Amino acid sequence: MIRRLGSTVIALVGALLLVSLFLNLVPGDPIDVMLGEQASNVDREALRHAIGLDQPWYVQIAVFTRDFFTGDLKTSLPPFQKEIWPQIAAAMPNTLLLTFTSMLIAVLLAVPLGVSAAARRGTLVDNVAMGVAVTGVALPRFWLGPMLIILFSIKLDWLPVSGAESVRHLVLPAVTLGTALAAFLSRMTRASMLETMREDYVTVARAKGLARWKVLWKHTFRNALLPVITILGLEFGTLLGGAIVTEKVFAWPGMGTLLLNGIEKRDYNLVRATVLVFTLSYVIINALTDVVYTIVDPRVRRR
Amino acid sequence: MTHFRALAATVVMTLLAACRSGSPPSGITVLIESPPDSIDDRMALSANGQRIAQLITPGLVTFNDESEPVPDLAESFRWVDDRTLEFTLRPGLTFHDGSALTTADVKATYEALLDRTLPSPRADKLEPVASIEAVDDRVLRLHLKRAYAPMLAELTIGIVPEERANDIAAQGRAPIGAGPFRFVAQPDEEHLELAPFDGYYGGKPDIRALHLRVVRDETTRVLELLKGRADLVVNAVSPAVLPMLTKQPGIHVLTRPGTGYAYIGFNVRQGPLSDPRVRRAICHLVRTEPIVEYKFHGLAVPATGMIPKSHWAYTPTAGCRYDPAEAARLLDEAGYPDPDGPGGQPRLTISYKTSTDRFRKSIALVLKQELEEGGIAIDLRALEFGTFFSDVRKGNFEMVTLKWGAVVEPDLMRWVFSSGFIPTAENHFGGLNRAGYADPEVDAALARASAAVTREERKALYAEVLRALDRDLPNVPLWHETSVAIVSDRLRGYSPSAHGFFTPLAKAHQVDGAGR
Repeated sequence: MIRRLGSTVIALVGALLLVSLFLNLVPGDPIDVMLGEQASNVDREALRHAIGLDQPWYVQIAVFTRDFFTGDLKTSLPPFQKEIWPQIAAAMPNTLLLTFTSMLIAVLLAVPLGVSAAARRGTLVDNVAMGVAVTGVALPRFWLGPMLIILFSIKLDWLPVSGAESVRHLVLPAVTLGTALAAFLSRMTRASMLETMREDYVTVARAKGLARWKVLWKHTFRNALLPVITILGLEFGTLLGGAIVTEKVFAWPGMGTLLLNGIEKRDYNLVRATVLVFTLSYVIINALTDVVYTIVDPRVRRR
Repeated sequence: MTHFRALAATVVMTLLAACRSGSPPSGITVLIESPPDSIDDRMALSANGQRIAQLITPGLVTFNDESEPVPDLAESFRWVDDRTLEFTLRPGLTFHDGSALTTADVKATYEALLDRTLPSPRADKLEPVASIEAVDDRVLRLHLKRAYAPMLAELTIGIVPEERANDIAAQGRAPIGAGPFRFVAQPDEEHLELAPFDGYYGGKPDIRALHLRVVRDETTRVLELLKGRADLVVNAVSPAVLPMLTKQPGIHVLTRPGTGYAYIGFNVRQGPLSDPRVRRAICHLVRTEPIVEYKFHGLAVPATGMIPKSHWAYTPTAGCRYDPAEAARLLDEAGYPDPDGPGGQPRLTISYKTSTDRFRKSIALVLKQELEEGGIAIDLRALEFGTFFSDVRKGNFEMVTLKWGAVVEPDLMRWVFSSGFIPTAENHFGGLNRAGYADPEVDAALARASAAVTREERKALYAEVLRALDRDLPNVPLWHETSVAIVSDRLRGYSPSAHGFFTPLAKAHQVDGAGR
């Protein structure tokens, strides 16, 4: 537990340092963005001082860290330095809703595909399922999103194009985001299933004369699930990354949109805060993955 | 299994929480590509911030499509002498909160900016004002420190109620003005709700409600238009998509010659481009017509100078025709002979920087080819916009392509071509004369034009400047991009603005039942 906490802290500090470093490397003076090209130099320097940009980078990070954890972090944009936490609090549920729904869709698609492909290895079912999976991995989201909109929203008129007003608005972005994961996951499920099928206990179960489905689901699948869950936890980071693109395409008001706003305005505090929250949620999800292990595989608990 | 049930319950509850019950918008929906930085006119720098603020808080004057300052909240204005401007307000002006708009409000608005009590980026623009005198409730005089003709152009600054003059917090949250639309709500960065104002001097706009929505992705903006869930998109769809859109039922593509100015910029301070003959040779090698026809699908007008044809200060200049023979002669003369005849080795190599924007890059490739056909090798570099722009400011370039978003007040030429505005380390690279162009006669003409008061005098002086620029070519004029408004069937009578303003909404009509 202490070791986990320690690694979490290291991950957060690393992310903070990297983001700050890259922000300083990115050309483009935030003062220009805030004051415009024709601002006077007196104003420039006054503003630079007011928002602490004339401080060395480590002071900036220290101030940021203090504000981040005491909760009074504000955007760097004057004159209304808006509180950042309420903005994150408004955006985060939207992003979590999007990522978890797409994860759900991915699992609901991947498990039947992967299991049936493994059960009928080398047959037409297997080939079709894996063909679908390879295609799914290969489709970029910025292409898939508009294509889904054209088909389901414009041609069929079933769903709205973009925005976040109802459950119907959630469908297309979640499918767009989940497709790649579904594809990847179904390949993992198949591989893991095939490996487990070679285990002695599966042979024993079949020798006992158990029904085929019972062997498949109760003996094989349950044991094949562990690596799949590991992947699911690890892939959460990829999903969060993909959420940025997906949110842009579907005008979904989540963390990705917030991050893009921050980058556009060269709002260092907003960028740092959103990236940090991204990192934090990734770490938390991985901790949760460990908890799920113990539910799925009692052996982990005993160890 | 209880864990799963708890998890499922959480998911369902989050789902329900996220579903704001939403009925389809009943008003007109405008899609914009990025959120406004501020909707307080005094604070807004971004194009979207300014064009939204204009709807809520108009100023004493605005610009018509010929870029002339015309009365807005003012009924009329006149120069009493070359240092005194007199305004008469329209009778019976009211703010959105019902209070009357008088010269006291105008005076307070300007004085807050003059006193620099507000951190407004536009405060600088009022610097020439010495004092403000409210003669009575409707007549106001501006006394200037010196003769300054562009003053009118700065008085587009939105007028706010006196008690809001020093309050940017309230004005940024829920602005009050005397414009055609009043603020209703801004639930988040991506949405803004406005309503027609029945006390507007031009009459209540015939639109039930105005929804502004941020959709960052261009494809998605087009798809929302196709779906019939967007009614207006102004200058936020690239020309390549427009031919497809014009064919769609229920969608209209409206255009008006724009005021933006695209050009090839040179660094005339050093290297081969400090020689005007080399710059002229480049000008003779560039064919803008094919780019306008094939890249812009006709939605641009070849430029002869910074000032577009529709502008009051426009003067025709000779320009340079496509003439490779003349270009070759000029290059020979400048000391860049062709080492081995046409083709083969280039005469010289020039570095050319542009941004990574896909459309701009594709244009840069065409220009590169045109110049290379004339024996000028081009080392093309596409840089991320921040890096690119920082190089431009610091003079770290030979040749670039850039554009000015809107050339409205021709005094802009004073900032761009006077030798006093060359960016240097001393002025923190703040000057706009990035070419490093210096010509005493141009300096003098530009200074006199900014002090002259009559239109005729100014036009004559700008003509002198335009001819000098046409001779020296510190930049090669390319084109003025056309202003494009895409409207749905639900929005009638929208006449697009040359500047891409949203103000034509005040005179447009909402027609229901026309939606698909």
